[in-house]
Formats: sequence, C-alpha cells, structure tokens
Amino acid sequence: MDMGAVVDNDVLDEVVRMLVDVIGEDFLLDVEVGRGTTFNEDLAMESIEFVALAERLQQVYQGRVDFAAFVAGLDLDEIMTMRVGDLVAHIESRLTASAA
Amino acid sequence: MTMVRRAKMPTLQDLGVKNIAPPAKRFLFVVPPLTGHINPTVAVGAELARRGHEVAWAGHPEVVGPLLEPGSVLYPVRDEALADRLETARAEWLGLRGPAALQFLWEEFLVPLGHAMMPGVEAAIEAFRPDVVVTDQQALAGAAAARRNDLPWATSATTSAELTDPLAGVPKVADWVSGLLAGFQRPYGLEAFDLRFSDHLVLAFSTAALIGDTSEFPDHYAFVGPALGRPSGGTGFPWEWLSGPAILVTLGTVNGSAGERFFQVAADAVRDLDVQAVFVAPDGVLIDAPPNVLVRPYVPQLDLLPHLSAVVTHGGHNTVCEALAHGLPLVVAPIRDDQPVIAGQVEAAGAGVTVMFSRVQAPELREAITQVLTGDAHRAAARRIRDSFAAAGGASAAADRLEKLT
Repeated sequence: MDMGAVVDNDVLDEVVRMLVDVIGEDFLLDVEVGRGTTFNEDLAMESIEFVALAERLQQVYQGRVDFAAFVAGLDLDEIMTMRVGDLVAHIESRLTASAA
Repeated sequence: MTMVRRAKMPTLQDLGVKNIAPPAKRFLFVVPPLTGHINPTVAVGAELARRGHEVAWAGHPEVVGPLLEPGSVLYPVRDEALADRLETARAEWLGLRGPAALQFLWEEFLVPLGHAMMPGVEAAIEAFRPDVVVTDQQALAGAAAARRNDLPWATSATTSAELTDPLAGVPKVADWVSGLLAGFQRPYGLEAFDLRFSDHLVLAFSTAALIGDTSEFPDHYAFVGPALGRPSGGTGFPWEWLSGPAILVTLGTVNGSAGERFFQVAADAVRDLDVQAVFVAPDGVLIDAPPNVLVRPYVPQLDLLPHLSAVVTHGGHNTVCEALAHGLPLVVAPIRDDQPVIAGQVEAAGAGVTVMFSRVQAPELREAITQVLTGDAHRAAARRIRDSFAAAGGASAAADRLEKLT
C-alpha cells in the first residue's frame, strides 16, 4: 500500500461484518462487499434487514451515528442506488465530527 | 284471528325495533383490478344490499365480474391500451422489490390506472347517481371523481399499512408520493388532496389488536376488522385429502410463479414434519412435492381455513387477516409493498414469526412452522386478534358507518 495515502478501512470492515451478520454468510459467498456494493441490487437487502442493520449501527456507534437521520435525507433514487460506501462515508464523517 | 289481521305486515315497531331502517341509498364501489382489493367490498356491498340499499361496482369487468355475487351491478371501467400494459407491468413488477417496487407501483401502475379509470368512473356516477362513493385506497379515480361531483366518499383501506405512515422515516419519498397525487388531480381541476384518505370516512379492515394503538386516529377512521363473507367458490377441492393437522402455504393471487424458490424451500421444510400442507401454487412450480403436500393453483381459502392449524404467507393483508380471523398463527415471508409492514404487525402482536422471503432455507422455515404449530403463545395471540376482529363487526360495522355518510 502506498503509505502516502493510507485508507483507513476500519469503518468499512465493521459495516461488512454487520452485513454478514444480518444477511448471513451463505449469501455473501459470491459477493465481495466493498464501497461500491449496492444494497438493493447487489445485496438484495430486505426491508427487515435494513432495520436489523440500523439496530447494529446503533449498538456499535451509539449516539454518534444516526442511521435514521441519514436515510431521512435520501430521496427515492438515492435509496435505490445507495452503496455501502455511501453509508461508510456517512459514518466516517459523523465519527470525525464527534471526535472533533 | 281475522284474515285482515293476518294479512297486515308487522311494522318494525311491532317487532320491538326502535330505529326504523333509514331510507334506501345508493352506494358505488370503485375498485382496482386486484383481487385482494375487491374482496372486502364484495362483503360490504352484500351487507348494504341486504339492508335494502342499491349497490353497484365500477371496475375492470374481467377481474371484478367473477368475484361479485351473481346479479350484481357492474359498470365496466376499461381502457384497452392500459389493459395491455397492465399485463406487461405485472410481469415487470414481479421482478421488483423494495424502493424499486414502490416507484413502479406509483409511476407505472397507480397513476396510469387512475387516469384510465377516470372516464369510466365518471360515467358510472352519471348513470348510477350514487349517494356515496366507496373507493379503494388504490383506485385514485374513485376519490377524484367523488370530489369532482361533490359526493360523500369513503376510502376502503384494503391494507392497513398506509395508515401507519410507512414513509415517515423517508420524508423525501413521502413528498414524492404527494407530488404524484397532486399531479394526478391537476388535469381534473382538483386542488391537491391526499386521495388515499377520505376526509369523510376511512374503512380500515383491521383492529388495534393487530396494528397497534389506534386511539390517535380521528373519528372518521373506522377500524371494522376484516369483511369476510364473500362467495366461497368452494367446489372442486379434494376435502377427503385432509386427514390431520394441516397448514396452508400461499403467496396470494399475484405472486405465484415468482415464488418458485420459496415453494421449493417450503416443500423441503414440511417434508419430514408430521403435518399436511396445502400449497397454493401454479402448476409446474413445484417439482418432487412430498406426499404430505397438496399443490393446487386455487383453493377456497375461507372454507379451508377452519380445517387448518397455521398459515405460511407472503403477508398479503387479506390472507393474514383471514387466518387471524380463524385464530391461526402465521409464518410471514414478506415480498414487497405493504407486506413487510403487515409482517411487522403480526410479529409485534405475537401472532407469528417473520422469515426472509428470498433467503430462508428449509431448516429455518421448518423451525418457524414448528414454533407456531407447537407453541401456545402465537396461537393465543392469534385468538386474541380473532376475538377483536369479531367484536369489531366487519362488513356489518362498515355498513353502519357508510349509512351514516348520506
């Protein structure tokens, strides 16, 4: 890795762990989950799974990340095309903000 | 007793009835071409007719006609161009879920359907001269035409999902729906109004026992419980096949072939269970069905439910409420639209468990079925809901409220 541009993947790794937890390992065998993975098309997330993901985000990040507020800011197109990276970027920005 | 006295009809007062029946009124039901949305109106319409009122329907004859009681009055609402598109649309819709299904529902189905139905509904109003229009929540034309004609109108909320404001968490999506509704009404010279909710009467075919606290709703929301009592259509079912505890596995009237994987999983799930299972599935969808599984493309569901112990369903509102009206616990595998909301209601009420439609495997589904069959808690909750439904009055309560509208 080019040490001049270290990418901190802690949040991505955490989100992927949650997704494995929520969706189940069996369904992610063929999918390499990364920032470009879409929730709807690639992961075929069920609405119940979104709720489960929100609960895990709440557990892990407590009040620092508000998934409901994040989703509330999205329009239908954004929801349909939302990628893992969008959520990760949101979490990272919230963590940076709360650390500042 | 003299002949004269014998010939005299007793009046209602003679019979001890204090309130004389109100004069007959005319009720027009406006329905979309969706079985689940038509069925409750059939029961309510029959009750109104029994009370001496004039009742008619406006809808697509090829879908609505077969569901009505023989002799019912049906004003055909048909648009050839849309009819062709509906078939294609339905096929496309079956491949969609989540937000994509929501977008498709509004942009490709509800709004075009509303425009296509508008001339037929206005013609039906002109011809039938109803005192009240009862319109399904998804038949926008019924609400718009009633408002244009200054008629009292009621919303028939076939599913209770919209009442719980499922888009509250996504305000931009809720605004998008409002925008589509406003755009729909503009060509008819109507001010923007939320056509999903009548300001006269909203009939909700559920109760607080299932959907949760309803005390915050205004008085014109009537939670009447399911309106059952449609024609049974119970011929041709091999009743002799049922020999012990049995469950129903159904994905409703529109999802049949899209549920191929689920049906296969469900067949594997019940294979080793000591229970019979009636699958409502199109021919050819299920290969190698075990001997305790009966596959039928259609079943007389209301006649079948009293013989069953549990129901596995996609969470269509009618099937869920019909099962609960019989005190049966549920396994719900929601696919799209309102189904995740209804599944959530069932789980929160304690009357069943939810599984993931697209991911569930046989062991998990077997466990879920076993749980609702053998545990007492789910059955007890289902019976509580059954009792609340019975107390709510169903079609009779709906008719009471509709009579007061005129």
